[in-house]
Amino acid sequence: MDLSIHDLVKRFGKLTALDHVSLEVAQGSFVCFLGPSGCGKTTLLRVIAGLEEADGGSIRLGGSDLSAIPARNRNFGVVFQSYSLFPNMTAARNVGYGLECRRWDKARMQSRIKEMLDLVHLADQAEKLPSQMSGGQQQRIALARALAPDPSALLLDEPLSALDAKVREELRIEIRAVQKRLGITTIMVTHDQEEALAMADLIVVMSKGRIEQIGTPQQLYREPATAFVADFIGRMNVLPLDPGPQDGFRFAGTQLEVRTAAGGAGKPVAALGIRPEAITLKGLDTTGPNVLPASVRTVSFLGNITRVEVEPDARPGTGILVELHGMARVPEPGERLNIDISAEDLRVLS
Amino acid sequence: MSVTTASGSRPAAHLPGRASDRSITLALSILAAIPILLFLLLPLTGILLRGFQTPAGFGLGNFIQTFGADRFWRLVGNSISMSLTSTLIAVGLAYFYAYALQRASIPLKPFLRIAVLTPLFAPSLVQAQGLILLLGRNGALNRFLGFDIDIYGFWGTTIANALYAFPYAYLILSAALAVADARIYESAETLGAGPARIFRDVTLPATRFGLAAAIFVVFTLVMTDFGNPMVIGGDFSVLATEVYNQVIGQAQFGLGAVIGIVLLVPAVLAKLIEKRISARQHALVTAQSKPLEVKPSRGRDIAFSVYAYVIVALILSVLAIVVLASFVRLWPYNMSFTLRHYQFDVQNGTAPLWNSVGVSLATAILGVAITGLTAIVVHKFRNPLTGPLSMLAILPAAVPGMVLGLGYVLTFNDPANPLNILYGSFALIVILSVYYNHAHAFLISSTSLKQIGPVFDEASTTLGGSTLTTLRKVTLPLLWPTLLGVGVFYFMRTMVSLSAVIFLVTPSTQLAAVSVLQLSDRGALNQAAAFSVCIMAIVVACLLIVRTILWLAGAKNVTLIR
Repeated sequence: MDLSIHDLVKRFGKLTALDHVSLEVAQGSFVCFLGPSGCGKTTLLRVIAGLEEADGGSIRLGGSDLSAIPARNRNFGVVFQSYSLFPNMTAARNVGYGLECRRWDKARMQSRIKEMLDLVHLADQAEKLPSQMSGGQQQRIALARALAPDPSALLLDEPLSALDAKVREELRIEIRAVQKRLGITTIMVTHDQEEALAMADLIVVMSKGRIEQIGTPQQLYREPATAFVADFIGRMNVLPLDPGPQDGFRFAGTQLEVRTAAGGAGKPVAALGIRPEAITLKGLDTTGPNVLPASVRTVSFLGNITRVEVEPDARPGTGILVELHGMARVPEPGERLNIDISAEDLRVLS
Repeated sequence: MSVTTASGSRPAAHLPGRASDRSITLALSILAAIPILLFLLLPLTGILLRGFQTPAGFGLGNFIQTFGADRFWRLVGNSISMSLTSTLIAVGLAYFYAYALQRASIPLKPFLRIAVLTPLFAPSLVQAQGLILLLGRNGALNRFLGFDIDIYGFWGTTIANALYAFPYAYLILSAALAVADARIYESAETLGAGPARIFRDVTLPATRFGLAAAIFVVFTLVMTDFGNPMVIGGDFSVLATEVYNQVIGQAQFGLGAVIGIVLLVPAVLAKLIEKRISARQHALVTAQSKPLEVKPSRGRDIAFSVYAYVIVALILSVLAIVVLASFVRLWPYNMSFTLRHYQFDVQNGTAPLWNSVGVSLATAILGVAITGLTAIVVHKFRNPLTGPLSMLAILPAAVPGMVLGLGYVLTFNDPANPLNILYGSFALIVILSVYYNHAHAFLISSTSLKQIGPVFDEASTTLGGSTLTTLRKVTLPLLWPTLLGVGVFYFMRTMVSLSAVIFLVTPSTQLAAVSVLQLSDRGALNQAAAFSVCIMAIVVACLLIVRTILWLAGAKNVTLIR
């Protein structure tokens, strides 16, 4: 069943947390809501879960409207950020809680609990209390608890952010594996772009209550539509266009050639974007369409890469990052050179 | 391993549960609101209305009559001067006592922490009792050392009340001194500030809100206390004793109500100011703060040890002399040991003691039910009733016990009131005790509920649990140790409370603390002492029993971890 969100609005007093948000989530897909804190991603998840009431718009699941259905009857499995296991119940009772609420009979419940604990590889922890388990184990039990009543979708609210780096990476793989095995529609909220890129089929980038861009991880990295997305996912140099009437794209007095399709259809062009690895450093004698004279400001050696910050002669004050891989010749600060901006990788941002 | 998913499961399938959550929460909210309206708001409006009621009709007659009397202004003067002096002594001494425990290393801190709270276990006139036995006309000092001290009057009342209020001041100040940011102290030290300067420039400003809160709390407490001035005041009358004399002595309800209002107004103001102040105290410490560790310093530690032990000796000696007096034949003339005073062959015998235990137990049970329900309604539900309910729940903090008790008399002895059937019964005393202590009990439950947080409710809801299921299976199992603590609080306060219930007790509903007052009044000092000792013993026994229960429950968890 597809989840279809249409024109959702949510206000907290004067603050608009969700500003006319529309979105389609296909059956069985893994979608990440990504954005900085306060962008509305958690609010959107909570509205879908029924924990917050929207001020406008609709949520439909497989054609039926969810608006009038309270959270407890929506049949969504929710995993919270942390410490949401009932501290007075063992792992097994936690997993069985949703089944208790649905008045399953004892035998069926026991076998389902066992099945779920096996699914998250914690059958041996069944009789432990949450306080006796590690953070990672607790979140796996929380996942099993959410999945036990066979929900129509799984909603994960920053499920990994309270865990330390190593456990986080393990659990990332495990959640994705479970999701693929069950084929369950899953929405995860995160502020960690790496997490989103690694796990999601589809990423919804949000900012200030609006959706900035929806796309696969590859699309978002290669073809960011807005300066916000470009900056939020990976590093991207944002080159503001020269003021004055525009015929094409002028930056630092040079007419830049762009060979990619313009993103953000219909919106006014604000800037050009280029990834640091798509710029090459050349000698002062090189010429070409996208070559600009510049001088080196700082050089940071970071092992496998070297990050060089340059300043175009015609745009002093605008720093441009360039990443050199491997054993390339490293320039000195103050050195004058040319930068070559790849026309294939130059993005038009709105 | 095969995992089944029925991808066709309908989201709209309704889960078991008879009534909708909304109607259940509304019903529970109304259930919580009705008693608080009947037994808190009604008596308080009753006292206000009664103050304006005169034989000639509605008007300011009572106020004019009261304010026109010289005697009234003398009582106001007495009350204020006594309360100010008492407050200065109690808060001043408690500040350095709390400082000694929080900021110096002194031996046996756990003992010092408990010992200073012992006055809370005794009826609020035990200090006056102890002082009389020690310094009264027939007190130990006058009798054996040939002094000629007259303790009755201003100083007796002031000292007794200072001792009575000391633990309350200590609790507030100790909390204020417990939070400190070590980084500020380290900066001051590295900048070359000496200990005295650090105290003046860092410690004192950081605790100024706690200090102000303690002053307001103690002032109100002392101003409205009734037991100590009654026993040791002699000819020195204060407003609190005057209410009693007007109402019980002369049946002047209207005039009593006026003085009640006069006592209520400063108490409400003080509470409002204190609330504003304590809200600012919390903002002083941030998550980045580094806790202060006490570094040994020989001179300071010795000085504070001496100080702390002298204070504890003072507090304990007043209690100890009461215990001692209960075991001697006739203090201070015949000091031979006897258990005679524990035969309670006077008045109603031991009945008042058992009445008190019964009333306190009933108060504990009813109180836990009422405050638990109110706290859950206020913190877990959201409907138009929850806002006003949370305000009403903490209103008793600003209402002196005497004033609430008077409100009960004025409201429920009116034959026109259908609830008049409760008048003169233990039930009304129990209800009064519940609402007299409601604010503090509510705050204890609230703090605990806030710590439990909304995430368990949300988890339970998304798993299909109804509000009642969540309460029964999650909230209450997590809350029970707190509720047990609330029960103990109610029991303790009701066992020792005097001023709230004084207007409601009748010869057939006699309570222990009131017996102590009446025995003291009649000069039966040894028997009064024995009664006080019994009250203290019961309170301490109750504390030990519950401590054991909690320890056993905790111990179960401990063995599980192993």
